[in-house]
Amino acid sequence: MTNTTAMYQQFICAVLETVINKALALSLNGSKGLQSINQKCLVVYLSELGFPLSLMICEDKVLVTSLNEHPDCVINTSIKTLLALKQDMQITELIKQDKLDISGDLKVAQQFAQFFEKLDIDWQTELAKHIGDIPTFKLTQLGKKLSRKLNFAAKQIEADSTEWLVHEKRLVVSNSEVSSFNLQVSDLDVRTEALTQKLTRITQLINNAKDICE
Amino acid sequence: MSAHDQDHQDNSTHFGYQTVDKNEKESKVASVFHSVAAQYDVMNDLMSFGIHRLWKRFTIDASGIRPGNKVLDLAGGTGDLTAKFSQLVGKDGQVVLADINSSMLNVGRDKLRDRGLVQNIDYVQANAQHLPFEDNTFDVITIAFGLRNVTDKDEALRSMYRVLKPGGRLLVLEFSKPEQELLTKAYDFYSFNILPKMGELVAKDGDSYQYLAESIRMHPNQETLKEMMETAGFEQTTFKNLTGGIVALHKGYKF
Repeated sequence: MTNTTAMYQQFICAVLETVINKALALSLNGSKGLQSINQKCLVVYLSELGFPLSLMICEDKVLVTSLNEHPDCVINTSIKTLLALKQDMQITELIKQDKLDISGDLKVAQQFAQFFEKLDIDWQTELAKHIGDIPTFKLTQLGKKLSRKLNFAAKQIEADSTEWLVHEKRLVVSNSEVSSFNLQVSDLDVRTEALTQKLTRITQLINNAKDICE
Repeated sequence: MSAHDQDHQDNSTHFGYQTVDKNEKESKVASVFHSVAAQYDVMNDLMSFGIHRLWKRFTIDASGIRPGNKVLDLAGGTGDLTAKFSQLVGKDGQVVLADINSSMLNVGRDKLRDRGLVQNIDYVQANAQHLPFEDNTFDVITIAFGLRNVTDKDEALRSMYRVLKPGGRLLVLEFSKPEQELLTKAYDFYSFNILPKMGELVAKDGDSYQYLAESIRMHPNQETLKEMMETAGFEQTTFKNLTGGIVALHKGYKF
């Protein structure tokens, strides 16, 4: 491990620890549920990072370190898979696909996952504490309006670009055209098969006639 | 060398660039830390641009600490390492924050208590050369930015070795010698021109920060400290340079 890697590693851990504990402090559910995993340690090896992330619960705080000695549960995975891990039913499937490797107490991993899912922050209340109720209301309304407009614009751009690519420039074929082409290919396949059978029968008849003449 | 010179050399040590009597160094170092204690954390953040927090986190990661361990945070000052260790060892473990300087210990104790860290921390005013603990007491001993202020480093290392349990480890986080010449020059300029001014402005004490810069230069380099640890009895001794060698973390085991 080089100097820079060591410091980068510590920086990531420090930032994660601050973010998680800040989110925990702001969460409407508080530190509920942490008692059951107090002093439990979950070590996560993310393929993107290349070093262990150790999450340990200490009373109402989460400590993030690179300590990987004597963990209760170890997970080897990637960030993408970790996000998919939210759904319990997917765990077996992800393990089968070699995208997830869990060793140790699976219950600890699930309790950590539940804890992160339960984080619920009322952003409006938090923002209002800093800038006041009316600006927060105005800002929220503006945010919603912007979000609606952006969604509409995104849909409009998608529709317009589809129109341009499919109909005007004909650079891309539409779904119905692909289906129609597939049908035509199937039809041609059936007709070719029938023709092959006809030809086989004719060949047989010719061969039979030749045998009779001889 | 005459007997008198030999005797004089044995009884003298460095206080920054000055050569002082061994008995005198302790009180001089004490006055430095009494003076800076209140502003210690702020100055650490300012002087290191906050990087000291990453160095300390690295030390904790290298400690291999686990719940139930007994830790001695020697020269623990304002308790940055103690705070983390206290959480990591849990209620079955114990952390002793020891410092020779009462002002530093008071600041550390107040800070930790304000953060609600009370259940597994003990505070001891102790001299690193004569640790007031039984043999084989601790699983981990750390001394962060403290060893260079100790009058007799060899004696302190022997004392730490004595109170460490077999299988236990010592971690020494200390300023060291930068690996690159260019970095050394930049670091020297910063230490002797900017640092004392910063100390004057924030802590109203430029002399203490002049001593800090000088004491870093007088501290043994990476290899020498490693040898000193081995002489004291530590095994599997290694060191890791951080931030280009400005700081090094030495680690040694007692078996």
